[in-house]
Amino acid sequence: MIDNGLLVQMLLGALLGLSVYLPLAAGQLSLATPAFYAVGGTLAALLSTRWRALGATAGGGFPVPSLLLELLLGGLLAGVLALLVGRLVLRLRGIYLAIATIALVEIVRVAILNLPFTGGAIGIFSIPQPFSEASGYLLMALLLLALAGGLCHRLEAMPMGRAMAAIRDDELAAACMGIDTTRVKLTAFVLSAMVAGSSGALAAHFLNTWNARQGSFDVSVTTLAFVILGGSRTWLGPVLGGLLLTALPELLRPVGDVRLVLFGLVILLGPVLAPQGLITPALLERLGGAGREPASREDHP
Amino acid sequence: MSAAATASSAATAPLLEVQELSCRFGGLLALDRVSVAVQPGEIFGLIGPNGAGKTTLFNLISGLTPPSGGTVLWRGEAITALPPHRRNRLGLARTFQNLRLFDGLSVLENLLVALQPRSRNSSLDGLLGSARFHRAERLRRETAWQLLDELGLTALAEREAGTLAYGDRRRLEMARALATGPSLLLLDEPAAGLNPAEKEQLCALIQQLRQRHQLTVLIIEHHVPLLMRLCDRMAVLDFGRRIALGSPEQIRHDPRVIEAYLGSGPQGAGEATA
Amino acid sequence: MIETLLQTLLNGVAGGGVYALVALGYTLVFSVLGVINFAQGALFSLGGYLTFLLMGGRIGVNGALPGWGLPGGLPFPLALLLAAAASGLVGLLVERLAFTPLRRRGADPMLGLITSLGAGVVLVNLLQILMGAEGYAFPQGADALGGLPAALAIGGARIRTIQLLLLLVSAGAVLALPLWLEHSRQGQALRAVAEDPTTAQLLGINSEAMLRLAFFLSGALAGLGGGLIGVSVSLPGPYFGIGYGLKGLAVLVLGGLGSVPGAIAGGLLMGLAEALVPSEASGWRDALAFAILFAVLLLRPGGLLGRRQLEKV
Repeated sequence: MIDNGLLVQMLLGALLGLSVYLPLAAGQLSLATPAFYAVGGTLAALLSTRWRALGATAGGGFPVPSLLLELLLGGLLAGVLALLVGRLVLRLRGIYLAIATIALVEIVRVAILNLPFTGGAIGIFSIPQPFSEASGYLLMALLLLALAGGLCHRLEAMPMGRAMAAIRDDELAAACMGIDTTRVKLTAFVLSAMVAGSSGALAAHFLNTWNARQGSFDVSVTTLAFVILGGSRTWLGPVLGGLLLTALPELLRPVGDVRLVLFGLVILLGPVLAPQGLITPALLERLGGAGREPASREDHP
Repeated sequence: MSAAATASSAATAPLLEVQELSCRFGGLLALDRVSVAVQPGEIFGLIGPNGAGKTTLFNLISGLTPPSGGTVLWRGEAITALPPHRRNRLGLARTFQNLRLFDGLSVLENLLVALQPRSRNSSLDGLLGSARFHRAERLRRETAWQLLDELGLTALAEREAGTLAYGDRRRLEMARALATGPSLLLLDEPAAGLNPAEKEQLCALIQQLRQRHQLTVLIIEHHVPLLMRLCDRMAVLDFGRRIALGSPEQIRHDPRVIEAYLGSGPQGAGEATA
Repeated sequence: MIETLLQTLLNGVAGGGVYALVALGYTLVFSVLGVINFAQGALFSLGGYLTFLLMGGRIGVNGALPGWGLPGGLPFPLALLLAAAASGLVGLLVERLAFTPLRRRGADPMLGLITSLGAGVVLVNLLQILMGAEGYAFPQGADALGGLPAALAIGGARIRTIQLLLLLVSAGAVLALPLWLEHSRQGQALRAVAEDPTTAQLLGINSEAMLRLAFFLSGALAGLGGGLIGVSVSLPGPYFGIGYGLKGLAVLVLGGLGSVPGAIAGGLLMGLAEALVPSEASGWRDALAFAILFAVLLLRPGGLLGRRQLEKV
């Protein structure tokens, strides 16, 4: 049964899919999303449980404006981290970049695990709740997704988005055509981090507890599966991938481990059977919807 | 080939100059202290047998490969440390021997992407869809259509670049380089795969483009007779070294050049063609 | 003092030997195919569990077949060898499922990263389903080591025999491999394919066969490492191999992608560095490998002994 709680998880999955999508849209295979997700979640968990001023009540409640603040801060902190690290990491190409982002995830995970104030292996629990029911979280998640999705949509029609697509096709040629590839890649990386950070902040409240395992290599794998299944040519793909792959295992109700076997199969078979994923630009054009803007000659005198 | 060009070259400073440029790949010295100066307005040819280092030279000029020695100068200023996109902003554009189009973008978008860096794009404007953004977009599109017109690609504007026929891809590659608004255009084997009639058209096109866009052209070509007709001056590379420099006539009769091309068949420098 | 120093050194070198094993596995495939086989960590886990089962261990209550085990058990050396060979075979399977289809379609070989990651995930989770998520300890009795004492006294220090064994076996494998690559016909053929596949083909070398050999050896090395670690420490869960796989990547980059001596040197360095982390900070030990990786990637992406790769323009 798809209840509100599952819907929230599906939307979080969609958001993480978008986070992985953004660097990929600029041709960068970054597996760093879990690191930023963890940073955002940890920040929210810490702030809400330690900072009285945010207004956590004795009964475990939490004011919504404070939640919004945390979403913002989570995104910002993740963004700042991405800015600092990205400058260094994005100099790397291909496999080196992928490995560096894996390393980043591990470093962040171990740091959160070992820092004295983050709760160790157990993590932080009893995170106050801004909503008494899942429907509240559902609304928040929808808002967040609308924002992130809207951003991605707008990006496609902007010079920045075109530059990202160009870099994806051929980074060297893009550089020779005057595109500051470092700046564009960094932008994608930072945006990706911000989406993940805000999602983490929301997730921390939704899940009620937060620990280092939320930002592990596992999450890199599952979010990658979202993008591979859904398709990476347009932002709708990872959204759909995230929704589907989060819902599917719950619907099938198997042993938890089969879920990961499923993800593994998607990642193993996806690139061969459906290299463009489920949502391809061709499909979108046929549906007459969110395809490219047609060029018109009315601009031409 | 014009007398005007050769006369003025003595008076003006070179647009592009490489001094003692070397490039080492592991144990291989791909370029060995090459010096060349390209004057504004001229069409300068670069020839040499396979593996002579011509494309390597282009890569060093455009900033894709760092030199192991020497300098690259643009209007007298050293640009050796500048990254490729900054060199492009200065006015240096190139095409690639193996055609590096943005295959997933449409023909029009390939040009739009190249036009973008020419104007200050505030992402905020783009995000909000402000009037300034729309104005800039409209201007870009106008310029793009003009270029498409000029290179006969108008009918293909909406097609995905990866689906184009070879000849069209070549022209798109050139259109895209032109879209960046260069003063110097580096052409890497633009005639590869073209039949003689198409080669003629290319020749005429390059001369037209030079005229209309006030270009200086540096061109690598295997088909030497083409360059003989087209170029004001030429340089010959062999094994990474410059072995000759001068007018096509001078090059044609240079014994070192003839020797370097020995055995390369009907494309040898020794052949005189109309 | 000397005792702790000696112990630390031994730990470092022993651990380093295992890292070198994993890194060598990566190197073999990378040098022939140009891609990282992300299933390596999973094969490491597989080796550990296979060794356990072959030694007569029984599946625990959380597994798919609780209480099941082989009748009787093989002595450790034999179990280890068989487990390594079996891992090598599974490595071949990974090649068939994750890499061959991409080659057939002329797809970007980089996608092999993704498909092999998928294969690794499938493998590890199948292991999890079969064996359950609990930890397994290997039989530690006198029989386990074939009659050898559990600890030896060397220079006044007491060293666990199993660690010495670990060191010897991994050192043996790690040193035998480059020798084999240099001096045997198969090894030379493999190197030829790695250097220049076209010429190798022209010389009549069957590059497909060499590729399969590389994957087999790579899987066997991983399996060997997993078995050794399993016996010397324990099997905390199928995911432990992933951790080694990831650290093996760090070693790979440290030593330089594609360099065999680099993988060995990198492994030793990594092992020693980890051993030198004081026990108060042991929680951070895992991050050390990746911090080193980070530093290497930023300062010297070619690694210690790697070759700089220039993109063809």
